Amino acid sequence: MLPIYLCEDDEQIRNAERLWLEKQILIEDYDMEIALCTGSPEELLDCLAKDQRQGIYFLDVELKGSSMDGFRLGQEIRKVDARGFLIYVTSFADLAFETFRYHLEALDYLCKQNPEQMYAGLSRCLKSVMQRVEREQGGQQEYFTVKTLDVVRHIPLDEIVYFTTSGSTHRIELHAGRERLDFIGSIQELEQRLGEHFIRVHRSCLVRADQIAQIDKKNHEILLKNGERCPYSRNMRKRLLDLS
Amino acid sequence: MRNWQYFQQIVCTNMQAQIIPMLFILWMAHILLGQIPDRRMAHLVKSALACLLYIFVISSMGAVCYITGAWNWMNHTGYSIWEYFTLVCLMPLLHFVWRTSPRNCCLAALMVEILASYAVLLSELYNYGMFYDLSDPAQRKSYLFWLLIIHPLFLILCGLIIHISGMGKIYRLWLEQETVHKGILCLLVLYPLFNYVLLRKLYMEIPTSYYLLLPLFLLLLIHLIFVYVGRDSQQRQYIMAQQASLQQQTIYIEKMEQIQQELRGFRHDFKNMMAGMYLQAKEGDLDAVQNFIQEMTGDFDRQVGEQIRLLNQLGNVRMMEVKSLFLDKLTKMQQDQINCELEVLNPFVETRMRSTDLCRCLGIFIDNAMDEVRGRENGRVHMMISSLDGCTTFRIKNTLYGTVDFGRLGRSGYTTKGMGRGIGLENCRRILAKYDFVFPFTAVQDGYFVQELKIQE
Repeated sequence: MLPIYLCEDDEQIRNAERLWLEKQILIEDYDMEIALCTGSPEELLDCLAKDQRQGIYFLDVELKGSSMDGFRLGQEIRKVDARGFLIYVTSFADLAFETFRYHLEALDYLCKQNPEQMYAGLSRCLKSVMQRVEREQGGQQEYFTVKTLDVVRHIPLDEIVYFTTSGSTHRIELHAGRERLDFIGSIQELEQRLGEHFIRVHRSCLVRADQIAQIDKKNHEILLKNGERCPYSRNMRKRLLDLS
Repeated sequence: MRNWQYFQQIVCTNMQAQIIPMLFILWMAHILLGQIPDRRMAHLVKSALACLLYIFVISSMGAVCYITGAWNWMNHTGYSIWEYFTLVCLMPLLHFVWRTSPRNCCLAALMVEILASYAVLLSELYNYGMFYDLSDPAQRKSYLFWLLIIHPLFLILCGLIIHISGMGKIYRLWLEQETVHKGILCLLVLYPLFNYVLLRKLYMEIPTSYYLLLPLFLLLLIHLIFVYVGRDSQQRQYIMAQQASLQQQTIYIEKMEQIQQELRGFRHDFKNMMAGMYLQAKEGDLDAVQNFIQEMTGDFDRQVGEQIRLLNQLGNVRMMEVKSLFLDKLTKMQQDQINCELEVLNPFVETRMRSTDLCRCLGIFIDNAMDEVRGRENGRVHMMISSLDGCTTFRIKNTLYGTVDFGRLGRSGYTTKGMGRGIGLENCRRILAKYDFVFPFTAVQDGYFVQELKIQE
């Protein structure tokens, strides 16, 4: 059962949200419960410290009478519940939502100015949370997780084409089907961590085996399925030829 | 046969003596070029070999010159030719190790050579006028003491002074405005000749104590030139910043006037609407009144709110150059009727990345985003700047209509925009290669093309 946490400083709105959510859970028969309804972020965090589950959070952005704002609260929640669903309820239409989504992986934001829109938003959020939960339980896709400074990125393992060392030390370039990024790491560690699907074809290059299209023996290069080329070392030649 | 052995001996001694100046040269080049060379193992090994080759060539040529007495040709002109020769050897070496443009390398080689020769000269002050007889153990000891301790100490001292005085930065500033300083450039190119006249020729005829003053005098001269140039470029930057701020203010005022116009329009509508609402309230039609209030708030957001919001966000960008860039691009996007948004949650004050490089990269990203979206329906460009926990993120995303071939993205000539384009991202990659604290990220996510720069502060 998914716990729902509400943090909103205006009691009237808080109660309205709560009533609507309870009604929705009943009507749609969602596997959820309202765990906490509060105006104080500290209380919410205390409650989380005791009970660590994946939850749904409806948070106000401006929390009057508290040292924390919604963004800080989101950061604190993320420390305990990395996979929870954060939804921001705000009175301003000009919330920097992309920034919230970027740093906190917030799911959505609702405008409480207009009650009709807010109710519709609450229902929409519950629905999309359910869809996500079902999807997570369904096909388990493997991800490569990498941290660049303050964000963690998840890249589907089967979309990665290759890793290569970049000019400076400890820096790796990741080339994937829909992504390209730099991060700090070592290619040896990656080779050990990723295992069988990847081949260290060259000192500077770790390639996903099923992304190799051709081997260009003349230039000592591997032609990848996306059209890129990378070098291979002489002692890898036999293994590569065995593959093809 | 005996000659051959003699030659070999000299070469070996030379090579040993060259190692410390070589390290000094590399250090200076690092300061002046301000770039990280490629640090992959293979390149490091090749670089080390290249340095050894350089030392060997210099040492053996030095030995040849010493034995044949070439340095004293034509009344010591040989020395000048020798200086040019070392320069010619140093340029390809720097080019090979740092892989920057030949022009940069030539200038850097020249500067490095000047710095190194003065540092060495200063260290020779310690034992000026002494001639060691290396067959005498006591004298050999004193020579080795100089070579292994005093000499490196002097070099380290000079290097530290150069490092701390921020000479590299001034030098690079100076590089950016080459047109003005052709004169100084000529002077530098003529330096070996100059050096010869001052040091090798004059010092034969003047008392020894003056000899000490000459290198100091020259160092002072060079220092003054740099200080002057640095001040000059600082002033220029100051003027540019002022102009930019003036331009910003003009645009700002225009925007405020626009908002005021819209407010006036809204006030007019508002009066009419209130009159209508009053009637409906009087009739007791609550639904209609509710609708009215909703419509009105919506209208206000649409008409005036958006401009105010944009200006609010822009107010959080405190770095002048970046602010100018965004203001310029936002104005352009509004002219082209591109739906654009900017989010700056926390004030963005400064960054470690050089502002020119940062603006060039961001400019390329934003231009690309604009080009993709321009003239399309429902296109959207979203820009985000976020400074949080010692790390600054710039994120530009735009609606994507085609596909992106990640295999070829950022290579020269790859473009989705037709002939003659596609150099932007390649330039970006080249700029970013200099920084080891900037992490680029490119992706296609949920129908958007996303470009991101993350800077570790």
